[in-house]
Amino acid sequence: MEQLPEWAYNAALASMPLQTPLRLRRLIGLGAAGHVWEMLSNNERPLDGIPDDVWRAWQSCGQAHLHGVTEQCISAGVSVVSVRDQGYPDVLLSDPEAPAVLFLRGNSAVLNNRRVGIVGTRNATQRGKYFARELGAALAAEGVCVVSGLARGIDVESHVGAMAQENGCGPVAVVASGPDVVYPREHHRIWAQVARNGCLVSEAPPGTVPEPFRFPMRNRIIAGLSEVLVVVESQSKGGSMITVREALKRDVMVMAVPGSPGVPASEGTNDLLRDGCAPVTEVVDVLLALGLHHRNGSVASIERDAAADDEREVLRAMGRDSCSVDEVALRASLPVVHAAVLLGRLEAKGWVANSGGWWETLIV
Amino acid sequence: MYAAIRSATLLGTRGAPIVVEAHVGVGIPAFTVVGLPDEGCRESRDRVRAALLSSGLEWPNRRITINLAGTGERKGGAGMDLAIAIGLLVAQEVIHPSAIEKMAFIAELGLDGSLRPTAGMAPLVDAVSDYEVVVAGSAVAESMLARPPYLHGVGTLRELVDVLINNQTWPDIDHFSVNVVEDAIADLADVRGQHSARLALEVAASGFHHMLMVGPPGAGKSMLARRLPGLLPRLTEDEAFTCAMVRSAAGIGSGVTVATSPPFRSPHHSVSMAAMVGGGSSHIRPGELSLASHGVLFLDEMGEFAPTVLDALRQPLEEGVVSIARAHSSVTMPAKCLLIAATNPCPCGAGTPTRCHCTLHAKQRYLRRFSGPLLDRFDVRIHLVKPSTVDLTSDSPGESSAVVAQRVAHVHRVSLERQGCLNSAISAEQLDDVAPLSRDAMVWLRQKLDEGHLSGRGYHRIRRVARTLADMHGEHEVIKSEWVETAISMRVSVVTQAEFH
Repeated sequence: MEQLPEWAYNAALASMPLQTPLRLRRLIGLGAAGHVWEMLSNNERPLDGIPDDVWRAWQSCGQAHLHGVTEQCISAGVSVVSVRDQGYPDVLLSDPEAPAVLFLRGNSAVLNNRRVGIVGTRNATQRGKYFARELGAALAAEGVCVVSGLARGIDVESHVGAMAQENGCGPVAVVASGPDVVYPREHHRIWAQVARNGCLVSEAPPGTVPEPFRFPMRNRIIAGLSEVLVVVESQSKGGSMITVREALKRDVMVMAVPGSPGVPASEGTNDLLRDGCAPVTEVVDVLLALGLHHRNGSVASIERDAAADDEREVLRAMGRDSCSVDEVALRASLPVVHAAVLLGRLEAKGWVANSGGWWETLIV
Repeated sequence: MYAAIRSATLLGTRGAPIVVEAHVGVGIPAFTVVGLPDEGCRESRDRVRAALLSSGLEWPNRRITINLAGTGERKGGAGMDLAIAIGLLVAQEVIHPSAIEKMAFIAELGLDGSLRPTAGMAPLVDAVSDYEVVVAGSAVAESMLARPPYLHGVGTLRELVDVLINNQTWPDIDHFSVNVVEDAIADLADVRGQHSARLALEVAASGFHHMLMVGPPGAGKSMLARRLPGLLPRLTEDEAFTCAMVRSAAGIGSGVTVATSPPFRSPHHSVSMAAMVGGGSSHIRPGELSLASHGVLFLDEMGEFAPTVLDALRQPLEEGVVSIARAHSSVTMPAKCLLIAATNPCPCGAGTPTRCHCTLHAKQRYLRRFSGPLLDRFDVRIHLVKPSTVDLTSDSPGESSAVVAQRVAHVHRVSLERQGCLNSAISAEQLDDVAPLSRDAMVWLRQKLDEGHLSGRGYHRIRRVARTLADMHGEHEVIKSEWVETAISMRVSVVTQAEFH
């Protein structure tokens, strides 16, 4: 039998049916992956407490499985590291629930930088998304690695922001599906971009579909990779709150962005603040928490064209409220047509955003 | 033994003249109707028999054949009952053929021998208006819509036979005349606030642009839509006539009046395909689309309509007519209406982004029911938000319908003079001539095209709406950038809320 590299056996073990993180860790703990694979091929049962049907399923994975997974990893450009390997992220080595095998796309060296997790709801407000983008951009410019989940809403915006900076630190995206299975599908461009500039990390082998149970599990890796976890917007229950719990288990500092009372997208973050989390009211707060900045320094932000005088008047009139066109016209004492035109121009420049007829200013 | 009587049958919204041939011959007693009759025609036999006997006339106990000669179409309705009865009487030589030579008969018969109106009296009478038309007394008013030169209304078959045999005088119908009414349409002044929506409504009326309103319940979508007919100009005589004919053909409402205000149709979302575009199993009836012709078709809760029904609207809206093709026949009906639709932004309908609990997925699923090509038909697509309490309680009412209607009429006049059609109907080739853009406007549009915010079709539609906006503000030549930008702001994207990264 030809000998495959060690990573191929790691990948094969990780992608066996009925595999769980705990079982995988125990298997990898037995010794070199090639050796463990051989034991399974010889119908040995080197672990206790594993049900019979699992053993049977594992032992029925023949050479075809091994070669199939290996080829899949190669064709998807995915590298495989186990806790025993040199390339395994140091930060996860001490993690009690660290995944035994990681599938990576991109450059995992970005994890050697300072790391901040940015998480939040998929149902974010326009301003929440804008804040996540600004935060991502400022952190990347300071050489901080943004860790998030590439989900809709806050997650993806933080990545967009991080990559909007030239020469910024590449972000890390911890995803629940296989690193080659784009989910949600409208994010296919940014997946490729993260793999190019930063690193896509997954516990799941290539080809794994995003089953619901994988998302909470993915959140523990985000928590484990972060030094500081920032919750931008979150409902009182949701994936972000799972990440927060995982972070607290690991003594990771959790910070939250306050929101208006009664807004569903901010209920969770406001709860966190009440429970004693540090607030983030501007981007600098996070940099201060990392010890990277002082209050008087200027913070990098996403560039946009300056607003003209009449446009600035509109921004001032809108303040931080959600306004309809009619309200904007009323507040700025403009005819409706004029207000609509100015809002259109501001939107094109990226100063305001519209959702369902409501306009919000994108000013932190 | 043989007789030929003129009558008419309904094809969609138009009547078609036919000849009812009756033959009474020797043989085993039987009654056969040939010539593509539908079920209603076949039932004539029993009605005619009972009516003849009730009127003290004789039913020929011989072999009777009725042929509905004329078009190759399927004939429907009970309007030929009277013609069949007269045919039998002529064939039996009770009535002399010369007495009915220049006449046409359109009425349903009751079992007691009374004459009754049937659906579509106006178009039916119109089809045979070269002749003296005999209808039921109660159908005279509706028949008058077709303005036939000679019209007789009689109450019963007996009465009619008396006139035809004994040369009695026709019953008097002079006191019937066409009633012209104006429907009461709610006034736009009742709408408080909603300045941008009012503007959009005026644009829709001025250029005949189809309009979609997306907004939470209580934002006033229906309220605005119901006021739209009041902004459109009164119907011309021809248009009013067409509308009345369609209504008569559909057999709805009081067919006795001609309304000069544009029709407003608001079908419930459970409407079937046949009821929307026209059709039906036996004979083809006009649908809501035709009933709204020259007026407004309002689809409230557009998301609840069956997707097939919505998609069936696309072609008629473009062409202004709806064609129903069947194996035996093909019927064309008017469908030149202004479509205005309303929908909630998401299943929960909370309205404000901060209050909405719907997931993106739920929202997408809700709005994905509208096909892209259908959404493309809406030149004006606006978001509506609930008016603030300040607006609702403020004392100052908005402009009244009359004031706005005057401006709308002006834009209609200007655009008809300039290009012979309303602004929404400007062809793509004509656009450069009649809707030239200023340099700024061109740059702005080019930028939107480059950024991918605008499709090629959207580009033309924006230019048409911008033309209307400029016309509304008295600028009939080159279109300034301002109007193009406003037009773009009135074409919000409804479905693409997923952000592509």
